[in-house]
Amino acid sequence: MSQETTYPDVMIDMIKVTKVYPPDVQAVSDISLTVNRGEIVFLTGMSGAGKTTLLRLISRIEKPTKGMVEVAGIDVAKLPQRSIHLLRRKIGMAYQDFKLLPDRTVADNIAFSMEVVYRPQSFIEKRTRDLLEQLDLIKKYATRTEELSRGEQQRVSIARAVANFPEIVLADEPTGNLDAETTNRVVNLFNQLNRQGTTILIATHDRSLYQQTSHRVVELRFGRIPAQQPAYPEDSNGDDPASSYSPSLEV
Amino acid sequence: MRFLAVVLQQTCRNMLFTWKSQIMTQFTVSLSVLIFSFFYLIYSNALHVGQELGDDLRLVVYLEEEPAPAMKEQYQMKILKFDQVDRIEFISSQQAFKRFEQQLGDNSDVLTGVPANFLPPSIEVYPVRSLDSLSRIKRFSDYLQTLPGVLKVQYGKEWIERFYSFIQLMRVVIILSGSLLIMTTTFMVAHTIRLTLLSRQQELELLRLLGATNNYIRMPFLMEGAFQGLLGSSCGIIALLLLFNWINLQFAGPTTLTLLPFTFFPWQVTLSIIGSATLLCAAGSFSTTRRILQL
Repeated sequence: MSQETTYPDVMIDMIKVTKVYPPDVQAVSDISLTVNRGEIVFLTGMSGAGKTTLLRLISRIEKPTKGMVEVAGIDVAKLPQRSIHLLRRKIGMAYQDFKLLPDRTVADNIAFSMEVVYRPQSFIEKRTRDLLEQLDLIKKYATRTEELSRGEQQRVSIARAVANFPEIVLADEPTGNLDAETTNRVVNLFNQLNRQGTTILIATHDRSLYQQTSHRVVELRFGRIPAQQPAYPEDSNGDDPASSYSPSLEV
Repeated sequence: MRFLAVVLQQTCRNMLFTWKSQIMTQFTVSLSVLIFSFFYLIYSNALHVGQELGDDLRLVVYLEEEPAPAMKEQYQMKILKFDQVDRIEFISSQQAFKRFEQQLGDNSDVLTGVPANFLPPSIEVYPVRSLDSLSRIKRFSDYLQTLPGVLKVQYGKEWIERFYSFIQLMRVVIILSGSLLIMTTTFMVAHTIRLTLLSRQQELELLRLLGATNNYIRMPFLMEGAFQGLLGSSCGIIALLLLFNWINLQFAGPTTLTLLPFTFFPWQVTLSIIGSATLLCAAGSFSTTRRILQL
């Protein structure tokens, strides 16, 4: 693994990151963003602002064209192919397009993320049931995901992302297809994880999620973070970010 | 332990999902193993027969006259100079006469009045017993013919030549069927695995995103290849055993086959064939997985 950062509280550190897709589509440009361990950060912005690209850069689905992305002290761009799994195991990502296996059951899809780290079967079963209870999907335990509504699929995707107690959760539009009640359930789940120290990055359009929050909201505009945006934690003077934690996302 | 359990579970799941192509592959592997092992069985039995017949193989060098002890030494030297031999025996005219008499048995009275030295003296040369030496017998015989005082050299020229041709033919057939076995097992398994990989591209991509190691992704396919090889070759060998028993039953009784030793492979050979087919299939799967998944 790569060099350790000198700031143990920093979980995600992006320095002057640019991503250009061929031929020359600039998705994000010169972005610097630091996220502390245990922090919740909202990434907002219009469609095409670069929110998803940012999440993909953090989880090393994409490599930055310029700049450096460090996650938990790992310079992700320098991470060799054979070691990427070590990074991915620290991250749980809920994708905008869900990335579910349509011919598998809800339980199978959630179990997938735990199987790859060789969790015991009993643990997998219990954790799957717990998550489905929390997200009000327990009745769909043995249903194939292709038979679910988009909202249900979204919840399965979230359950899979958090199933393994990752250090970081990256959620790309996690409530895009959910009603208010279900959104609340998802928020509660994120809160619960955050209380356990999980760093959470939520890319969203949903104003209700961050409108009244005390957590940091970073707005992306045309692939950039405008100068007046808080690209660094407000308590980067040394305060523990977890101490500023509020019990809900205040939706 | 957990890794193995997960890999086995994945392998079984893969095989169940693609059972149709699995059956086709199994059938092809079985057929290839059956064809190869059938010819190999004939070849190994022929070798065995050749060895038994070779025990009687000797070159009889008829001489013009009884050699003096010094001459005998010279003959011995010249023979050994050309090739290694098992042993050399000098047979005098009298010894030859006695043998002939014994061979005639009750009819030996036909020799009454025949002089005891009417048969020429000879040297019996017993070459070292190995099938490869059969090809050298002819050259050896030609050489012996050039020795001074030699009337004629005799050996079972015809059967040796025919038998040698048969063995050569079998070798070619075995090489061809062996190549067929290698090609079919490797290509068929590689092809099946390729289809599986392509049909499960989405799932494999997801596995990578979820933090699966390369081994976690690759091992089930490797196991699948090995399973196909193991099951396919076992079926092929069982089919051969059934065929062998059927042939034995068909030719039971006073036929040529009962005179010749016709046996099945020893267990070591059987295991080697199954093991090789398993390894070949695993190798085919490994190379495909490596190429398509770029691991």
